[in-house]
Amino acid sequence: MNPLKQTPLAERHVAAGAKMADFGGWEMPIEYTGVVAEHTAVRSAVGIFDVSHMGKVRIQGPGAVAFLNDLLTNDLDRITSGQAQYTMLCKESEVLSESGGVIDDLIVYRWADDDIFMVPNASNAPSVVAALRAAAPAGVEIVDLHNDLGIIAVQGPRSKALIESMGMPDDHDYMTMAESKFRGEPVTVCRTGYTGEHGYELVAPVSVLVELWDALLARRDEFGVVRAGLGARDTLRTEMGYPLHGQDLSLDISPVQAGLAWAVGWDKPEFAGRAALVAERESGPRRRLRGLKSMDRGIPRPHMEVRQVAGDALAGAVIGEVTSGTFSPTLKQGIALALLDPSVNIGDEVVVDVRGRASKFTVTKPPFVEPSTRT
Amino acid sequence: MDPTQLRYTAEHEWVREEADGTAVFGITAFAQDALGDIVYVTMPAPGAALSAGVACGEVESTKSVSDIYAPLDGVVIARNDTLDSAPESINADPYGAGWLVTMQPSDPGQLAGLLSAAEYAALTLKD
Repeated sequence: MNPLKQTPLAERHVAAGAKMADFGGWEMPIEYTGVVAEHTAVRSAVGIFDVSHMGKVRIQGPGAVAFLNDLLTNDLDRITSGQAQYTMLCKESEVLSESGGVIDDLIVYRWADDDIFMVPNASNAPSVVAALRAAAPAGVEIVDLHNDLGIIAVQGPRSKALIESMGMPDDHDYMTMAESKFRGEPVTVCRTGYTGEHGYELVAPVSVLVELWDALLARRDEFGVVRAGLGARDTLRTEMGYPLHGQDLSLDISPVQAGLAWAVGWDKPEFAGRAALVAERESGPRRRLRGLKSMDRGIPRPHMEVRQVAGDALAGAVIGEVTSGTFSPTLKQGIALALLDPSVNIGDEVVVDVRGRASKFTVTKPPFVEPSTRT
Repeated sequence: MDPTQLRYTAEHEWVREEADGTAVFGITAFAQDALGDIVYVTMPAPGAALSAGVACGEVESTKSVSDIYAPLDGVVIARNDTLDSAPESINADPYGAGWLVTMQPSDPGQLAGLLSAAEYAALTLKD
């Protein structure tokens, strides 16, 4: 097995007492003081996350946007220069039944018609880069910057004031980005995130990442800055109903099943997996990603079975499976994303098999907590 | 509470013998730290029979769930009801306010067979 990769901030995390663990092949901080405290800090003040494990890819050259638009699900012409977009790379196979699964979900940042920046998931970045290189026309270059750039996410209601105090642009809209400098190096200030809060993701060269982290943390007394780990990132994103690739999205779970049809440019003549996805959309998905909210004290976990209600027992028919589940620190109850039979409606009561106990849940439409991304 | 005076199991429970012959148990500081923020606990009800080494409840954190194993044979006298609304007491004070169950051991000799504080400390270092 390959040794785990480390971000430039690894020593800082260990010195701060973080619990470190493997995440997508990277040794990452899961928590510093505790998931609940870090989660609450992001909802009420501001948290900083090292998300440098995420991939970073630059696609440059004449026709870069047109090339990507023929590959990725979302329509890049829905955005213009300076804007970002959630999109997916789906599988294209000659066998229809093997097409349409999600290789990765990602954010693309459109700088110009010949210049796109892309952030895939850590463990999927190599396959995304390989797929892009295999499909790229002459003149379009795929530059893998995974180990050259780091990303610090700054998320929470106090993030705007914190970014302003750093002398960086803070006033741009959600899903847009702006260029800045730190210690003479270029920093991209993206108004994106994975928490549901007003927030930024700072993309910077690895050479200045430690200094950038320290500078944000130095303002902790003024803004209540807290280090937040991937544990809190997961509870925050689950409260928003944001899918996580490998759990709620995968080669076996299509955008139609995951409720991500809004991130597909259905009118585009071409994108990878198009025929399969159009067919699935027309016939209706065989299962649908929904939210589940606990009615008792049960805490759902991935792969737990979802059943029809049958008294207090687990005698009901299996109607789905939990894909993400956790305790919501905001709601103080169990929440889940689950792939359910399409006959199940919002508002229905279902039962989750919590290690042999029948735990009752209500089917909901996420988010579980109102997002504040645009405020 | 002085953790060096307690007995321990390899499953990360501590046990304290009371003057009246009953025993109190909970999970160790090492266990609560490994679990992270504890958000839910299930414990056996008073009157329930316990068998040493057999699961009798669960302690669940934001990220994972772990079985609670009975440290001794016996019967439950009381469960710590305050943990229903404040499970975080286990994180804050695992040897005090975070106690789980008071039990009546059926074999008082069993306690001496549990780990000493030094033996338990050696075990957690190995982990």
